[in-house]
Amino acid sequence: MAKTAQEKADAKAEKLYKKTHKRKYAMSPGDILFEVLNYLVFTLFTIACIFPFYYLFINTISNNDMVLKGTINFIPRGIHLGNYLALLNVGDLSTSFLVSVTRTILGTALMVMASALVGYLVTKQEMWGRKFWYRFLVVTMYFNAGIIPVFLNMQMLGLTNSFWVYIIPGIVAPYNIILVKTYIESIPSDLEESASIDGASHMTIFRKIIWPLCKPILATIAIFGAVGHWNSFTDSLIYMQSAPNLYTLQHRLYIYLNQASNLKSLMQSGGAVSEAAIQSALSGKIIKYTISMVTVIPILLVYPFMQRYFEEGIMLGAVKG
Amino acid sequence: MDKSKTAKELASDRVYYFIRIAVLLSVVFLFVPALNPSRICGLINKNLSLFTSGVAYSTLTADFGRAFRKGWVAKSSIQILYASSLAVCLGIAANAASGCMSLGNIKFKKLGNLISLVGSIVELAGMAGIYTAYGQVAATSKPKRVEPMFPGCFWLVAAVFALILAATVIQIVMMAKSKSEEKFEMETKFRLFLMFLPFIALVAVFSYLPLWGWRYAFFDYKVGDTLTMDKFVGFKWFTELVKNPATVRDIVNVLKNTLGMSFIGLATSWLPMAFAIFLCEMKNIKFRRFVQTFTTVPNFISWVLVYAIAFCIFSTDGFVSSLLVNLGIWQEGQNLLMDGSHTWFKMWLWGTWKGVGWSAIIYISAISGIDQQLYEAATVDGAGRFQKMWNITVPSLIPTFFVLFLMAVANILSNGMDQYLVFKNATNANSILVLDLYVYELGIGKGSIPLTTVVSMLKSIISVVLLFGANGVSKLLRGESII
Repeated sequence: MAKTAQEKADAKAEKLYKKTHKRKYAMSPGDILFEVLNYLVFTLFTIACIFPFYYLFINTISNNDMVLKGTINFIPRGIHLGNYLALLNVGDLSTSFLVSVTRTILGTALMVMASALVGYLVTKQEMWGRKFWYRFLVVTMYFNAGIIPVFLNMQMLGLTNSFWVYIIPGIVAPYNIILVKTYIESIPSDLEESASIDGASHMTIFRKIIWPLCKPILATIAIFGAVGHWNSFTDSLIYMQSAPNLYTLQHRLYIYLNQASNLKSLMQSGGAVSEAAIQSALSGKIIKYTISMVTVIPILLVYPFMQRYFEEGIMLGAVKG
Repeated sequence: MDKSKTAKELASDRVYYFIRIAVLLSVVFLFVPALNPSRICGLINKNLSLFTSGVAYSTLTADFGRAFRKGWVAKSSIQILYASSLAVCLGIAANAASGCMSLGNIKFKKLGNLISLVGSIVELAGMAGIYTAYGQVAATSKPKRVEPMFPGCFWLVAAVFALILAATVIQIVMMAKSKSEEKFEMETKFRLFLMFLPFIALVAVFSYLPLWGWRYAFFDYKVGDTLTMDKFVGFKWFTELVKNPATVRDIVNVLKNTLGMSFIGLATSWLPMAFAIFLCEMKNIKFRRFVQTFTTVPNFISWVLVYAIAFCIFSTDGFVSSLLVNLGIWQEGQNLLMDGSHTWFKMWLWGTWKGVGWSAIIYISAISGIDQQLYEAATVDGAGRFQKMWNITVPSLIPTFFVLFLMAVANILSNGMDQYLVFKNATNANSILVLDLYVYELGIGKGSIPLTTVVSMLKSIISVVLLFGANGVSKLLRGESII
């Protein structure tokens, strides 16, 4: 199997490291202490980053009675998938799941296409008023009218309680446009020139040359866009006040988390709470864990494959046009 | 154009400028509820734009249930209204298309004129339909309930449409004959611009139009009111911000929290740098990649999920409680999230847990770009590990650190609201309330729109000033701008 670019880079770094850190003497006690502490601290922090996900996971697949007793802390026992199957019967949850999936796919696709096209157009010197319109676009990154004026604007446009509020305002993303523009500018212009001499129109050049060549950067902005869409929560909270069927999964999770904690505080304050309510609050813990898991799984599944793009993404941020 | 224009062509161009502006204006009519000519009675929501009334029949008739049942308003008249609004919408769309076509050659212009002619006739027919519908609604048996009203902007809108029609007729009369073999053509600069136009429109509508909402800061406005000049209060809400004791107390508390947490963030903004430096000191590359991979994961989950994580670890029957109870250290589980002490610090801790691995990546790649000969030379000179870190690695990272630090300073008022919203509860409500969350609660929760708008406005202005200030500092010290 061919080595990936990342592995190659790692091997190179290791070689370089060995070359430059060639040790002439044995490690001093101070060095050993440093190494031990360094590895220890990083190991602990990494565990702190992974363990909660693991804990969440084992508590959703273990025997529910043991989970409620709080005995599942490190090792799953009595493994079953009943909790996940039970979630299928929670109607509002599947609706929210569908809303989140749809907005992620549709919103990301439109954003990527728009960024590619606009990024291409703003590199075209011939365009009427190019500089002005480009600035008109980019300046919007630096100001914001504020949550209420934006809300009233959406209301005026009839976008509140509408699915389209998730999609349309996000189509034009100035930052991504800058990234695409910078990327296109780094492509040798000979390609475009020879195509246009051969009589290709701008749209043909865009489809046949720019789009394929830009795939790496488009993949990067797509993955960031998709994560953003999947994670977005406040727009659902603000704009869907009377359309609960359009809540995103994150919003739904937020509601579930809060419902149960309210019940719990009722129980603690010793208020008159029925036995049934206590029961539902308890199993609410498992429901909450399972919903959390469903919400986080797509990210965890996608992450290992996309890590390269994520890391490229932050580096691109350093280059601005 | 190689040949100079004749006087006739120049005149035609001028008329086109007029038509384009008028068409732009009619597109504005389409989306601004205050200029909706089809709002012919009080039962129609005043936040309804012409576009919505022409497209969504169910939204248009949302409040008509009783009126229809009791026969105050005939269904047919509202249907006429709906059809007419739709006609006006289609007419405006046609005019907009012809306005774009007018940038092309003569053949394009001719087709455009034809479309514009049809469009404006359809528009005027629609307006006539709306007028008819108004006549029928005005004859209602229950004027008090239905509140028929003649839309104030009706004649203005109709006049604009009529002017477009007139100008189009002039164009058609004046237009030169095109050669029959001529094709549809448009100059490249305009073609590219027209491709760009939809995106400009989106930006204008979603980023610039909200600024028009800043006018609410100068009015006494409650949710559902209409803005009229008698509600104009000038700078009342601005002075309220510094005069009303309750508001002042809130604002001071909110600013204390906002700045407090931002300063903790600024004071520890070297942490990702340290993370990267110490990570790169590890010789085992596989372990390094492992750490790097897994410490980045939390950055990609939402704050709601971070709260879910916090919940499963720290709540009454979460990990910590069940572990300590099983070990017999605690008698019963405690909800550590319901503890109002050290809120700022805890919020910082969650932010660090989520973000430090991710923020370190940029430093890690900067470290891999440092010239290795520097280290070799230092080793030869007998520099120890910490000396090399302090004298070589840190200075090479300072420029990156500086840029990120300045950006953080510019964002000192914007902590975001997600984190604080999800972690907020009865015990920490006072010390967790940051500016963004305060604005959300005041505006969306309590409907105090003018005051929130004032706060948003001031915040936006201060943020822009800070950003340019930071940029100025960067230019002065490094000769490079950061925006």
